[in-house]
Amino acid sequence: MALSEFQLFRPKTIQSAVALLAQHKGDIQVLAGGTDLLPSMRQKLFAPKYVLDIRGVEELKRIRVLAGGGLEIGALVTLSQIEDSEFIRRNYPVLRKAAMTIASPILRNMGTIGGNICLDTRCLWYNQSYAWRTSCGFCIKKDGSLCHVAPGGSKCWAVFSGDTPPALLCLGAEIEIAGPGGTRRIALADLYTGLGDTRLKIAKDEMLTRVFIRESMSGYRGAYQKLRVRGSIDYPLAGVAVIVKSSGRHAPVQDAKVAITAVNPSPMLVVGADHALIGRAVDEHIATVVGELAARTAKPLTTSALTPEYRREMIKVFAKRAVLEAAAG
Amino acid sequence: MKKELIELRVNGRIHELAAEPNKLLLDVLRHDLGLTGSKRGCDDSSCGACTVLIDGIPMLSCTLLAASCQGQEITTVEGVAEHGGLAAIQQAYGRWGGAQCGYCTPGFMMTVKYLLANNPDPSEEEIRNALSGNLCRCTGYEQMYQAIRDAIEAERKGLAASSR
Ligand SMILES: Cc1cc2nc3c(=O)[nH]c(=O)nc-3n(C[C@H](O)[C@H](O)[C@H](O)COP(=O)(O)OP(=O)(O)OC[C@H]3O[C@@H](n4cnc5c(N)ncnc54)[C@H](O)[C@@H]3O)c2cc1C
Repeated sequence: MALSEFQLFRPKTIQSAVALLAQHKGDIQVLAGGTDLLPSMRQKLFAPKYVLDIRGVEELKRIRVLAGGGLEIGALVTLSQIEDSEFIRRNYPVLRKAAMTIASPILRNMGTIGGNICLDTRCLWYNQSYAWRTSCGFCIKKDGSLCHVAPGGSKCWAVFSGDTPPALLCLGAEIEIAGPGGTRRIALADLYTGLGDTRLKIAKDEMLTRVFIRESMSGYRGAYQKLRVRGSIDYPLAGVAVIVKSSGRHAPVQDAKVAITAVNPSPMLVVGADHALIGRAVDEHIATVVGELAARTAKPLTTSALTPEYRREMIKVFAKRAVLEAAAG
Repeated sequence: MKKELIELRVNGRIHELAAEPNKLLLDVLRHDLGLTGSKRGCDDSSCGACTVLIDGIPMLSCTLLAASCQGQEITTVEGVAEHGGLAAIQQAYGRWGGAQCGYCTPGFMMTVKYLLANNPDPSEEEIRNALSGNLCRCTGYEQMYQAIRDAIEAERKGLAASSR
Protein backbone atom coordinates (compact mmCIF):
# COMPACT_ATOMS: atom_id res chain seq x y z
CA MET A 1 0.00 0.00 0.00
CA ALA A 2 1.46 3.31 -1.08
CA LEU A 3 1.67 6.41 1.06
CA SER A 4 -0.27 9.51 0.10
CA GLU A 5 1.72 12.39 -1.32
CA PHE A 6 3.29 14.92 1.01
CA GLN A 7 6.15 17.34 1.36
CA LEU A 8 8.82 16.33 3.87
CA PHE A 9 10.55 18.64 6.36
CA ARG A 10 13.59 17.59 8.38
CA PRO A 11 14.27 20.33 10.95
CA LYS A 12 17.38 20.20 13.14
CA THR A 13 16.12 22.27 16.06
CA ILE A 14 13.01 22.45 18.24
CA GLN A 15 12.53 26.10 17.20
CA SER A 16 12.41 25.34 13.49
CA ALA A 17 10.19 22.29 14.08
CA VAL A 18 7.69 24.37 16.04
CA ALA A 19 7.83 27.18 13.46
CA LEU A 20 6.91 24.67 10.72
CA LEU A 21 4.07 23.28 12.86
CA ALA A 22 2.69 26.80 13.30
CA GLN A 23 3.10 27.69 9.64
CA HIS A 24 1.28 24.59 8.37
CA LYS A 25 -1.03 24.15 11.34
CA GLY A 26 -3.55 21.37 10.77
CA ASP A 27 -1.94 20.17 7.52
CA ILE A 28 1.21 18.81 9.10
CA GLN A 29 1.95 15.69 11.09
CA VAL A 30 4.90 14.92 13.38
CA LEU A 31 6.92 11.83 12.42
CA ALA A 32 9.27 10.42 15.07
CA GLY A 33 10.13 6.71 14.76
CA GLY A 34 7.21 6.35 12.35
CA THR A 35 6.32 2.87 13.61
CA ASP A 36 2.77 3.92 14.37
CA LEU A 37 2.27 6.73 11.87
CA LEU A 38 3.65 5.12 8.69
CA PRO A 39 1.58 1.90 8.93
CA SER A 40 -1.47 4.14 9.54
CA MET A 41 -0.62 6.34 6.56
CA ARG A 42 -0.49 3.21 4.41
CA GLN A 43 -4.03 2.46 5.54
CA LYS A 44 -5.02 6.02 4.57
CA LEU A 45 -5.88 6.91 8.14
CA PHE A 46 -3.72 10.01 7.69
CA ALA A 47 -2.97 11.95 4.53
CA PRO A 48 -1.11 15.05 5.75
CA LYS A 49 0.07 17.64 3.21
CA TYR A 50 3.31 18.01 5.13
CA VAL A 51 5.27 15.54 7.24
CA LEU A 52 7.62 16.84 9.93
CA ASP A 53 10.40 14.31 10.46
CA ILE A 54 11.86 15.41 13.80
CA ARG A 55 14.57 12.75 14.04
CA GLY A 56 17.23 15.31 13.15
CA VAL A 57 16.67 17.19 16.44
CA GLU A 58 19.70 15.81 18.26
CA GLU A 59 19.01 17.42 21.63
CA LEU A 60 15.89 15.27 22.06
CA LYS A 61 17.81 11.98 21.81
CA ARG A 62 19.34 12.05 25.29
CA ILE A 63 18.58 10.45 28.65
CA ARG A 64 19.98 12.89 31.22
CA VAL A 65 20.32 12.55 34.97
CA LEU A 66 19.55 16.03 36.28
CA ALA A 67 21.90 17.86 38.63
CA GLY A 68 19.20 18.45 41.22
CA GLY A 69 18.12 14.80 40.96
CA GLY A 70 15.56 13.12 38.77
CA LEU A 71 15.63 12.20 35.14
CA GLU A 72 15.01 13.89 31.80
CA ILE A 73 14.18 11.75 28.78
CA GLY A 74 14.12 13.42 25.36
CA ALA A 75 11.06 12.69 23.21
CA LEU A 76 13.24 10.99 20.57
CA VAL A 77 14.89 8.55 22.96
CA THR A 78 14.16 5.10 21.55
CA LEU A 79 12.56 2.30 23.50
CA SER A 80 15.81 0.33 23.07
CA GLN A 81 17.75 3.16 24.72
CA ILE A 82 15.37 2.95 27.68
CA GLU A 83 15.81 -0.82 27.82
CA ASP A 84 19.62 -0.43 27.78
CA SER A 85 19.80 2.35 30.39
CA GLU A 86 21.45 1.06 33.55
CA PHE A 87 20.20 4.14 35.44
CA ILE A 88 16.58 3.45 34.52
CA ARG A 89 16.94 -0.25 35.35
CA ARG A 90 18.24 0.63 38.80
CA ASN A 91 15.99 3.55 39.66
CA TYR A 92 12.77 3.27 37.66
CA PRO A 93 12.50 -0.45 36.83
CA VAL A 94 8.79 -0.29 35.97
CA LEU A 95 9.55 1.95 32.98
CA ARG A 96 12.15 -0.45 31.61
CA LYS A 97 9.91 -3.46 32.14
CA ALA A 98 7.05 -1.80 30.25
CA ALA A 99 9.32 -0.59 27.42
CA MET A 100 10.80 -4.07 26.97
CA THR A 101 7.40 -5.53 26.13
CA ILE A 102 6.71 -3.13 23.27
CA ALA A 103 6.46 -4.54 19.75
CA SER A 104 9.70 -6.35 18.77
CA PRO A 105 13.41 -5.63 19.33
CA ILE A 106 13.66 -4.15 15.81
CA LEU A 107 10.64 -1.88 16.31
CA ARG A 108 12.05 -0.78 19.68
CA ASN A 109 15.18 0.40 17.84
CA MET A 110 12.90 2.73 15.86
CA GLY A 111 10.00 3.65 18.16
CA THR A 112 10.47 6.61 20.50
CA ILE A 113 9.13 7.39 23.97
CA GLY A 114 7.46 10.54 22.57
CA GLY A 115 5.67 8.49 19.93
CA ASN A 116 4.65 5.97 22.55
CA ILE A 117 3.12 8.69 24.74
CA CYS A 118 1.37 10.37 21.78
CA LEU A 119 0.35 7.04 20.21
CA ASP A 120 -2.87 7.02 18.23
CA THR A 121 -5.75 5.05 19.74
CA ARG A 122 -6.68 1.70 18.20
CA CYS A 123 -9.87 -0.12 17.21
CA LEU A 124 -10.96 -3.07 15.06
CA TRP A 125 -12.99 -0.64 12.96
CA TYR A 126 -10.17 1.86 12.54
CA ASN A 127 -6.83 0.09 12.06
CA GLN A 128 -7.82 -1.45 8.75
CA SER A 129 -7.04 -0.81 5.11
CA TYR A 130 -9.08 1.75 3.20
CA ALA A 131 -10.67 -1.10 1.20
CA TRP A 132 -11.74 -2.83 4.43
CA ARG A 133 -13.17 0.36 5.87
CA THR A 134 -14.98 1.17 2.63
CA SER A 135 -16.71 -2.21 2.62
CA CYS A 136 -17.35 -2.71 6.34
CA GLY A 137 -18.24 0.89 7.16
CA PHE A 138 -16.43 4.03 8.28
CA CYS A 139 -16.60 5.17 11.91
CA ILE A 140 -16.59 8.35 14.03
CA LYS A 141 -12.83 8.35 14.35
CA LYS A 142 -12.21 8.38 10.62
CA ASP A 143 -14.38 9.28 7.61
CA GLY A 144 -17.73 8.27 9.21
CA SER A 145 -20.29 9.42 11.75
CA LEU A 146 -21.28 6.35 13.74
CA CYS A 147 -19.62 4.00 16.20
CA HIS A 148 -19.78 0.26 15.45
CA VAL A 149 -18.52 -0.62 18.91
CA ALA A 150 -21.14 1.27 20.91
CA PRO A 151 -24.00 1.66 18.41
CA GLY A 152 -26.12 4.75 18.98
CA GLY A 153 -23.36 6.50 20.87
CA SER A 154 -21.46 9.55 19.71
CA LYS A 155 -18.32 8.94 21.72
CA CYS A 156 -15.27 7.26 20.19
CA TRP A 157 -14.09 4.27 22.22
CA ALA A 158 -10.86 3.52 20.36
CA VAL A 159 -8.35 2.31 22.89
CA PHE A 160 -5.06 3.85 23.98
CA SER A 161 -2.55 1.05 23.45
CA GLY A 162 0.84 2.35 24.57
CA ASP A 163 2.82 0.44 27.18
CA THR A 164 5.07 3.08 28.77
CA PRO A 165 2.35 5.61 29.77
CA PRO A 166 0.90 3.43 32.58
CA ALA A 167 4.44 3.03 33.98
CA LEU A 168 5.03 6.79 33.62
CA LEU A 169 1.67 7.57 35.29
CA CYS A 170 2.71 5.43 38.28
CA LEU A 171 5.95 7.40 38.43
CA GLY A 172 4.08 10.73 38.34
CA ALA A 173 5.94 11.78 35.19
CA GLU A 174 5.67 15.28 33.77
CA ILE A 175 6.06 16.27 30.15
CA GLU A 176 7.36 19.36 28.39
CA ILE A 177 5.41 20.62 25.39
CA ALA A 178 6.91 23.14 22.98
CA GLY A 179 4.80 25.55 20.95
CA PRO A 180 5.14 28.91 19.21
CA GLY A 181 4.90 30.70 22.58
CA GLY A 182 7.67 28.67 24.24
CA THR A 183 7.42 25.60 26.43
CA ARG A 184 4.94 24.47 29.06
CA ARG A 185 5.18 21.63 31.53
CA ILE A 186 2.22 19.49 32.62
CA ALA A 187 1.57 16.23 34.42
CA LEU A 188 1.41 13.34 31.96
CA ALA A 189 -1.98 12.47 33.45
CA ASP A 190 -3.29 15.80 32.10
CA LEU A 191 -2.26 15.05 28.52
CA TYR A 192 -5.06 12.60 27.84
CA THR A 193 -8.67 13.57 27.14
CA GLY A 194 -10.35 10.21 27.76
CA LEU A 195 -11.78 10.32 24.24
CA GLY A 196 -10.77 7.90 21.51
CA ASP A 197 -10.77 10.43 18.67
CA THR A 198 -9.35 13.66 20.09
CA ARG A 199 -7.06 11.77 22.40
CA LEU A 200 -4.47 14.38 23.43
CA LYS A 201 -4.66 17.86 24.93
CA ILE A 202 -1.93 19.16 22.70
CA ALA A 203 -2.50 21.94 20.18
CA LYS A 204 -1.89 21.45 16.47
CA ASP A 205 1.16 23.70 16.59
CA GLU A 206 2.71 22.03 19.63
CA MET A 207 4.92 18.99 20.12
CA LEU A 208 6.12 16.89 23.01
CA THR A 209 9.80 17.53 23.74
CA ARG A 210 10.78 15.90 27.06
CA VAL A 211 9.64 13.64 29.88
CA PHE A 212 10.65 14.25 33.50
CA ILE A 213 10.64 11.85 36.44
CA ARG A 214 11.33 13.12 39.95
CA GLU A 215 14.13 11.70 42.07
CA SER A 216 11.68 10.97 44.89
CA MET A 217 10.10 8.35 42.62
CA SER A 218 13.31 6.34 42.34
CA GLY A 219 13.79 3.16 44.33
CA TYR A 220 10.25 1.84 43.88
CA ARG A 221 10.10 -1.77 42.84
CA GLY A 222 7.99 -2.29 39.75
CA ALA A 223 6.21 -4.80 37.58
CA TYR A 224 4.46 -4.70 34.22
CA GLN A 225 2.10 -7.38 32.93
CA LYS A 226 0.58 -7.41 29.49
CA LEU A 227 -1.90 -9.37 27.40
CA ARG A 228 -1.32 -9.71 23.67
CA VAL A 229 -1.94 -12.13 20.84
CA ARG A 230 1.65 -12.81 19.71
CA GLY A 231 4.12 -12.61 22.59
CA SER A 232 6.94 -11.00 20.66
CA ILE A 233 5.24 -8.44 18.45
CA ASP A 234 1.73 -7.27 19.21
CA TYR A 235 0.19 -4.20 20.81
CA PRO A 236 -1.27 -4.72 24.31
CA LEU A 237 -4.92 -5.74 24.65
CA ALA A 238 -4.65 -5.15 28.40
CA GLY A 239 -1.69 -3.94 30.47
CA VAL A 240 -1.01 -3.23 34.13
CA ALA A 241 1.89 -1.33 35.73
CA VAL A 242 2.55 -1.44 39.48
CA ILE A 243 5.11 0.28 41.67
CA VAL A 244 5.64 -0.47 45.36
CA LYS A 245 7.92 1.06 47.96
CA SER A 246 8.70 -0.85 51.15
CA SER A 247 11.75 -1.80 53.18
CA GLY A 248 11.45 -5.47 52.33
CA ARG A 249 9.30 -8.26 51.02
CA HIS A 250 7.21 -8.69 54.18
CA ALA A 251 7.41 -5.08 55.39
CA PRO A 252 4.37 -2.80 55.18
CA VAL A 253 4.01 -0.85 51.94
CA GLN A 254 5.00 2.82 52.28
CA ASP A 255 3.70 3.92 48.92
CA ALA A 256 2.26 2.31 45.80
CA LYS A 257 0.60 3.11 42.47
CA VAL A 258 -1.22 1.02 39.89
CA ALA A 259 -2.11 2.06 36.33
CA ILE A 260 -3.71 0.28 33.39
CA THR A 261 -3.60 0.58 29.63
CA ALA A 262 -5.27 -0.78 26.49
CA VAL A 263 -8.73 -1.05 28.07
CA ASN A 264 -9.85 2.62 27.93
CA PRO A 265 -9.38 5.51 25.49
CA SER A 266 -6.63 6.77 27.85
CA PRO A 267 -4.13 5.11 30.16
CA MET A 268 -5.54 5.38 33.71
CA LEU A 269 -4.28 5.40 37.28
CA VAL A 270 -6.32 3.01 39.41
CA VAL A 271 -7.86 5.26 42.04
CA GLY A 272 -7.77 3.74 45.53
CA ALA A 273 -5.12 1.13 44.75
CA ASP A 274 -2.57 3.07 46.79
CA HIS A 275 -4.91 3.19 49.82
CA ALA A 276 -5.54 -0.53 49.58
CA LEU A 277 -1.81 -1.20 49.71
CA ILE A 278 -0.27 1.46 51.96
CA GLY A 279 0.45 0.35 55.53
CA ARG A 280 0.03 -3.37 54.83
CA ALA A 281 2.32 -6.22 53.95
CA VAL A 282 1.34 -7.49 50.52
CA ASP A 283 -0.38 -10.86 50.44
CA GLU A 284 -2.73 -12.74 48.09
CA HIS A 285 -5.79 -11.12 49.61
CA ILE A 286 -4.62 -7.53 49.17
CA ALA A 287 -3.34 -8.30 45.69
CA THR A 288 -6.79 -9.67 44.82
CA VAL A 289 -8.48 -6.52 46.14
CA VAL A 290 -6.21 -4.38 43.95
CA GLY A 291 -7.03 -6.65 40.99
CA GLU A 292 -10.73 -5.97 41.53
CA LEU A 293 -10.19 -2.22 41.76
CA ALA A 294 -8.20 -2.31 38.51
CA ALA A 295 -10.90 -4.34 36.76
CA ARG A 296 -13.49 -1.78 37.86
CA THR A 297 -11.40 1.02 36.28
CA ALA A 298 -11.21 -0.89 32.98
CA LYS A 299 -13.98 -0.20 30.47
CA PRO A 300 -13.08 -2.46 27.55
CA LEU A 301 -15.46 -2.70 24.60
CA THR A 302 -15.25 -4.80 21.46
CA THR A 303 -12.36 -2.84 19.97
CA SER A 304 -10.06 -5.84 19.47
CA ALA A 305 -10.05 -9.51 18.59
CA LEU A 306 -10.32 -10.57 22.24
CA THR A 307 -13.62 -10.11 24.08
CA PRO A 308 -14.12 -7.25 26.56
CA GLU A 309 -15.02 -9.75 29.30
CA TYR A 310 -11.75 -11.59 28.84
CA ARG A 311 -9.69 -8.41 28.77
CA ARG A 312 -11.32 -7.09 31.95
CA GLU A 313 -10.74 -10.44 33.66
CA MET A 314 -7.10 -10.38 32.57
CA ILE A 315 -6.70 -6.87 34.02
CA LYS A 316 -7.81 -8.37 37.33
CA VAL A 317 -5.43 -11.33 37.03
CA PHE A 318 -2.49 -9.24 35.83
CA ALA A 319 -2.98 -6.54 38.48
CA LYS A 320 -2.88 -9.21 41.16
CA ARG A 321 0.21 -10.85 39.67
CA ALA A 322 1.95 -7.52 39.15
CA VAL A 323 1.32 -6.46 42.77
CA LEU A 324 2.76 -9.76 44.03
CA GLU A 325 5.72 -9.50 41.64
CA ALA A 326 6.50 -5.89 42.58
CA ALA A 327 6.23 -6.65 46.30
CA ALA A 328 8.58 -9.63 45.94
CA GLY A 329 11.13 -7.36 44.23
CA MET B 1 4.51 14.31 -7.15
CA LYS B 2 7.80 16.08 -7.59
CA LYS B 3 10.90 13.96 -7.16
CA GLU B 4 13.73 15.33 -5.10
CA LEU B 5 17.40 14.61 -5.27
CA ILE B 6 18.55 12.51 -2.34
CA GLU B 7 21.87 11.00 -1.39
CA LEU B 8 22.00 7.59 0.27
CA ARG B 9 25.02 5.73 1.57
CA VAL B 10 24.40 2.01 1.07
CA ASN B 11 26.95 -0.73 1.81
CA GLY B 12 29.71 1.86 1.78
CA ARG B 13 28.78 3.39 -1.59
CA ILE B 14 27.14 6.75 -2.11
CA HIS B 15 24.13 6.84 -4.45
CA GLU B 16 22.52 9.99 -5.75
CA LEU B 17 19.00 9.54 -7.01
CA ALA B 18 15.70 11.29 -7.55
CA ALA B 19 12.86 10.02 -5.37
CA GLU B 20 9.45 11.20 -4.20
CA PRO B 21 9.35 12.27 -0.51
CA ASN B 22 6.83 9.51 0.24
CA LYS B 23 9.04 6.74 -1.10
CA LEU B 24 9.94 4.05 1.40
CA LEU B 25 13.55 2.99 1.86
CA LEU B 26 12.64 -0.59 0.92
CA ASP B 27 11.31 0.53 -2.47
CA VAL B 28 14.35 2.65 -3.21
CA LEU B 29 16.68 -0.22 -2.32
CA ARG B 30 14.80 -2.72 -4.46
CA HIS B 31 13.61 -0.64 -7.40
CA ASP B 32 16.07 2.22 -7.74
CA LEU B 33 19.25 0.53 -6.57
CA GLY B 34 18.47 -3.04 -7.65
CA LEU B 35 19.29 -4.38 -4.19
CA THR B 36 16.53 -6.98 -4.08
CA GLY B 37 17.88 -8.89 -1.06
CA SER B 38 15.62 -7.00 1.35
CA LYS B 39 12.09 -8.34 1.06
CA ARG B 40 8.57 -6.99 1.48
CA GLY B 41 6.75 -9.53 3.62
CA CYS B 42 3.79 -8.40 5.68
CA ASP B 43 3.52 -4.76 4.60
CA ASP B 44 2.29 -3.86 8.08
CA SER B 45 5.61 -3.48 9.87
CA SER B 46 5.55 -6.74 11.77
CA CYS B 47 7.54 -9.47 9.95
CA GLY B 48 11.14 -8.26 9.71
CA ALA B 49 11.82 -9.50 6.14
CA CYS B 50 12.89 -5.97 5.12
CA THR B 51 15.33 -5.47 8.02
CA VAL B 52 18.44 -3.42 7.21
CA LEU B 53 21.03 -1.80 9.46
CA ILE B 54 20.87 1.97 9.88
CA ASP B 55 24.11 3.20 11.44
CA GLY B 56 24.60 -0.41 12.54
CA ILE B 57 21.18 -0.85 14.16
CA PRO B 58 18.44 -3.14 12.75
CA MET B 59 15.41 -1.26 11.45
CA LEU B 60 12.53 -1.99 9.08
CA SER B 61 13.16 -0.48 5.66
CA CYS B 62 9.40 -0.70 4.91
CA THR B 63 8.76 1.72 7.78
CA LEU B 64 11.38 4.34 6.93
CA LEU B 65 11.14 7.15 4.40
CA ALA B 66 14.15 6.94 2.08
CA ALA B 67 14.67 10.69 2.31
CA SER B 68 14.82 10.42 6.11
CA CYS B 69 17.86 8.12 5.88
CA GLN B 70 20.16 10.64 4.24
CA GLY B 71 23.41 11.05 6.10
CA GLN B 72 23.16 7.60 7.66
CA GLU B 73 25.04 4.41 6.85
CA ILE B 74 22.67 1.81 5.41
CA THR B 75 23.71 -1.85 5.31
CA THR B 76 21.68 -4.46 3.43
CA VAL B 77 22.20 -8.21 3.13
CA GLU B 78 24.25 -7.48 -0.02
CA GLY B 79 26.76 -5.80 2.29
CA VAL B 80 27.15 -8.73 4.68
CA ALA B 81 29.58 -10.83 2.65
CA GLU B 82 33.20 -10.34 3.64
CA HIS B 83 36.09 -10.00 1.18
CA GLY B 84 33.97 -11.37 -1.64
CA GLY B 85 33.16 -14.58 0.28
CA LEU B 86 30.19 -15.50 2.44
CA ALA B 87 30.36 -14.35 6.06
CA ALA B 88 30.66 -17.00 8.78
CA ILE B 89 26.96 -16.72 9.61
CA GLN B 90 25.93 -17.11 5.97
CA GLN B 91 28.05 -20.25 5.64
CA ALA B 92 26.61 -21.65 8.86
CA TYR B 93 23.03 -21.00 7.66
CA GLY B 94 23.95 -23.04 4.58
CA ARG B 95 25.43 -25.90 6.58
CA TRP B 96 22.51 -26.15 9.00
CA GLY B 97 19.60 -25.50 6.67
CA GLY B 98 18.86 -22.19 8.43
CA ALA B 99 17.07 -21.09 5.27
CA GLN B 100 14.15 -23.08 3.91
CA CYS B 101 12.16 -21.01 1.40
CA GLY B 102 14.68 -18.25 2.10
CA TYR B 103 12.32 -15.28 1.92
CA CYS B 104 12.89 -14.18 5.52
CA THR B 105 16.62 -14.99 5.51
CA PRO B 106 18.03 -11.58 4.49
CA GLY B 107 16.16 -9.97 7.39
CA PHE B 108 17.43 -12.59 9.81
CA MET B 109 20.99 -12.07 8.53
CA MET B 110 20.87 -8.40 9.45
CA THR B 111 19.47 -9.12 12.91
CA VAL B 112 22.07 -11.81 13.58
CA LYS B 113 24.88 -9.59 12.30
CA TYR B 114 23.85 -6.93 14.81
CA LEU B 115 23.44 -9.46 17.62
CA LEU B 116 26.91 -10.96 17.17
CA ALA B 117 28.57 -7.56 16.68
CA ASN B 118 27.24 -6.42 20.03
CA ASN B 119 27.21 -9.67 21.95
CA PRO B 120 29.75 -12.15 20.53
CA ASP B 121 28.76 -14.89 22.96
CA PRO B 122 24.99 -14.67 23.46
CA SER B 123 23.06 -17.09 25.65
CA GLU B 124 20.28 -19.22 24.14
CA GLU B 125 17.72 -16.84 25.61
CA GLU B 126 19.50 -13.79 24.21
CA ILE B 127 19.55 -15.37 20.74
CA ARG B 128 15.85 -16.19 20.89
CA ASN B 129 14.96 -12.74 22.16
CA ALA B 130 17.08 -11.00 19.51
CA LEU B 131 15.41 -12.97 16.72
CA SER B 132 11.87 -12.52 18.04
CA GLY B 133 11.11 -9.65 15.64
CA ASN B 134 11.81 -11.68 12.50
CA LEU B 135 9.16 -14.15 11.42
CA CYS B 136 9.87 -17.38 9.52
CA ARG B 137 6.77 -19.02 8.07
CA CYS B 138 8.63 -22.28 7.44
CA THR B 139 9.26 -22.16 11.22
CA GLY B 140 12.87 -23.18 10.76
CA TYR B 141 13.98 -21.51 13.97
CA GLU B 142 15.80 -24.51 15.50
CA GLN B 143 18.15 -24.79 12.52
CA MET B 144 18.79 -21.05 12.74
CA TYR B 145 19.73 -21.27 16.42
CA GLN B 146 22.10 -24.11 15.55
CA ALA B 147 23.59 -22.13 12.67
CA ILE B 148 24.20 -19.16 14.96
CA ARG B 149 25.92 -21.30 17.58
CA ASP B 150 27.96 -22.90 14.81
CA ALA B 151 29.00 -19.50 13.43
CA ILE B 152 30.08 -18.38 16.90
CA GLU B 153 32.13 -21.57 17.24
CA ALA B 154 33.68 -21.10 13.78
CA GLU B 155 34.56 -17.52 14.65
CA ARG B 156 36.17 -18.63 17.90
CA LYS B 157 38.24 -21.35 16.17
CA GLY B 158 39.26 -18.89 13.48
CA LEU B 159 40.46 -16.43 16.11
CA ALA B 160 42.35 -19.17 17.95
CA ALA B 161 43.94 -20.31 14.68
CA SER B 162 44.98 -16.82 13.65
CA SER B 163 46.53 -16.06 17.04
CA ARG B 164 48.62 -19.23 16.94
C1 LIG C 1 3.80 -4.51 14.64
C2 LIG C 1 3.77 -3.40 15.66
C3 LIG C 1 3.61 -3.71 17.00
C4 LIG C 1 3.56 -2.71 17.97
N1 LIG C 1 3.41 -3.07 19.28
C5 LIG C 1 3.37 -2.12 20.23
C6 LIG C 1 3.24 -2.48 21.59
O1 LIG C 1 3.25 -3.65 21.94
N2 LIG C 1 3.14 -1.50 22.51
C7 LIG C 1 3.18 -0.19 22.18
O2 LIG C 1 3.10 0.65 23.05
N3 LIG C 1 3.33 0.18 20.89
C8 LIG C 1 3.44 -0.74 19.91
N4 LIG C 1 3.61 -0.38 18.60
C9 LIG C 1 3.62 1.04 18.25
C10 LIG C 1 4.96 1.73 18.24
O3 LIG C 1 6.01 0.93 17.75
C11 LIG C 1 5.39 2.30 19.59
O4 LIG C 1 4.29 2.74 20.32
C12 LIG C 1 6.38 3.46 19.40
O5 LIG C 1 6.84 3.89 20.65
C13 LIG C 1 5.78 4.64 18.68
O6 LIG C 1 6.79 5.63 18.59
P1 LIG C 1 7.23 6.23 17.18
O7 LIG C 1 8.35 7.14 17.48
O8 LIG C 1 7.48 5.19 16.18
O9 LIG C 1 5.91 7.02 16.83
P2 LIG C 1 5.38 7.69 15.44
O10 LIG C 1 4.78 6.65 14.60
O11 LIG C 1 6.48 8.51 14.85
O12 LIG C 1 4.28 8.63 16.03
C14 LIG C 1 3.14 8.15 16.68
C15 LIG C 1 2.13 9.29 16.88
O13 LIG C 1 2.62 10.23 17.82
C16 LIG C 1 2.82 11.50 17.21
N5 LIG C 1 4.11 11.98 17.74
C17 LIG C 1 5.29 11.30 17.75
N6 LIG C 1 6.23 12.01 18.39
C18 LIG C 1 5.64 13.16 18.79
C19 LIG C 1 6.09 14.31 19.51
N7 LIG C 1 7.36 14.41 19.96
N8 LIG C 1 5.22 15.32 19.73
C20 LIG C 1 3.93 15.23 19.29
N9 LIG C 1 3.44 14.16 18.62
C21 LIG C 1 4.28 13.14 18.38
C22 LIG C 1 2.81 11.27 15.72
O14 LIG C 1 2.36 12.38 15.01
C23 LIG C 1 1.86 10.09 15.61
O15 LIG C 1 0.53 10.51 15.65
C24 LIG C 1 3.68 -1.36 17.59
C25 LIG C 1 3.86 -1.04 16.24
C26 LIG C 1 3.91 -2.04 15.28
C27 LIG C 1 4.11 -1.67 13.85
